[in-house]
Amino acid sequence: MLEMFEYDFMQRAFIAGIIIAVLASVSGTFVVLKRYSMISETLAHSALVGVAVGLVGGFNPLWMAVLFAIISAWLIEYLRSAFSLYSDAVLAILLSGSLAAAVIIVSLGGAFNNSLFSYLFGSILSVSSDDVVTIAIFGTLSLGALLFFSKELYFIAYDEEVAKTSGIKVNFLNFLLVSVVAIIIALSIRVVGSLLIGALMIIPSVSALQFRVGFLKTVIISLVIALFSVVLGMTFSFYFSLPSGATIVLCVLGIFIMSIIINRK
Amino acid sequence: MKFNLPIFDIKNLTFIVKGQSILSNISLEIFRSEYIAIIGPNGGGKTTLIRMLLGLEKPTSGEVKIYGKKLSNFKEWYKIGYVPQRASHVDSSFPATVLDIVKMGRTSQGGFFSSFNEEDKKLVYDAMDRMGILDLKDKMIGTLSGGQRQRAMIARALASKPEILILDEPNTGVDAASQKNFYALLRKLNQEDKITIVFITHDIGVIADDIARLFTINQKAIICNNPKQLLSCQEMSELYGIDAHLLHIHKHEH
Repeated sequence: MLEMFEYDFMQRAFIAGIIIAVLASVSGTFVVLKRYSMISETLAHSALVGVAVGLVGGFNPLWMAVLFAIISAWLIEYLRSAFSLYSDAVLAILLSGSLAAAVIIVSLGGAFNNSLFSYLFGSILSVSSDDVVTIAIFGTLSLGALLFFSKELYFIAYDEEVAKTSGIKVNFLNFLLVSVVAIIIALSIRVVGSLLIGALMIIPSVSALQFRVGFLKTVIISLVIALFSVVLGMTFSFYFSLPSGATIVLCVLGIFIMSIIINRK
Repeated sequence: MKFNLPIFDIKNLTFIVKGQSILSNISLEIFRSEYIAIIGPNGGGKTTLIRMLLGLEKPTSGEVKIYGKKLSNFKEWYKIGYVPQRASHVDSSFPATVLDIVKMGRTSQGGFFSSFNEEDKKLVYDAMDRMGILDLKDKMIGTLSGGQRQRAMIARALASKPEILILDEPNTGVDAASQKNFYALLRKLNQEDKITIVFITHDIGVIADDIARLFTINQKAIICNNPKQLLSCQEMSELYGIDAHLLHIHKHEH
């Protein structure tokens, strides 16, 4: 099995994949508890606009993806608070709108090719050294922010109003959370792909919740599930030449089904 | 005079939503160490009033001051423990042990990176001990009975060392025996620890001996300074209906 590590691209893919598994599962726990699951899908599509701009305009697609995902996250929070729109409707509108914009930009720029395909479904072949550096830098900052405010974010997820009345800066922290989630999603699309990253963020946490244990244990179980799925998925991806995002998601889905069966009363 | 500076000073508070008046020109003060009960019909605006005290709703007109400061300038929110109505209906799959929940009470004062110092720990365990839930600390919140869950919510509020405790009908779904213990505990918190208590309830008869004043809220407020007497001489139904006569009599008494 270890022969796959003889390839540089596999080493890079594994480093990136492991960082992303940590980021996606830790942030995913907060996202799931806040009932924000759909935001990850929307932000992934917005990140795709960034990828399109990057591919067509000759900028670094990953940086552009981070930028566009953050803008989209802020727009969602703004639309939610400024207008009395249903939040799921806001997410649906931005999701399709982003995808449409991404497709148009790529078509106009004549870049509708395999390169975009790898951003949709993830590819272990496509992770460059620059990507690993970008993922490591932004990933560390994002994880740091999440851990720094983890107590506050947990309280907000449990009861936003009581958190507010005990002096927690709820609005600021909600903004921070969606921004961090946006960054994590944008970073993930290399390995997992924008159409599939939502699953890696949400399913490990939902699986961990089936065990009905305290917060810290839930995060740890979710982390272990994500890491295991990413490693297993990338191994399958290597040996069977399949898109890594799809193999990772099927692995995490398998664990989810097992966690339901194990914890069934 | 221990009743000098009101903790809450509410002046001419009016709240109108979509042309419908929820609260109309309410003025009242809540003083240190008071035990106040708030009653009134459903939809009469009790919860709205509480939410305005806590800055969760903005009044259409009027002003709320807390410790002499405007709500927007007030920073010491840890002094206020709030137990909302829906506390007993928490999502049963939320990943939290009783300890996790009570620790939340220390969140806004504790250190960063989820660190809790010795004092935080002591306050959290003291709060659980007082509420008699220390042996439940590792139980999942979703597996508790209504009464146990209620005590966990109050332990969380107590862990922040509040000077004032605001409870919005925390008894929904709680059995009679737990309720009785609960009232005894509130009395103790008020009398021994001098914690100001603001309590929305329907069980006014049970706590009439404990409370200092009674507010009846139904768009307007009737402030009753002698709840025992009032209860003995007025029909409850009349109280809930609020009439202008009563309002006039009790408005300027304190």
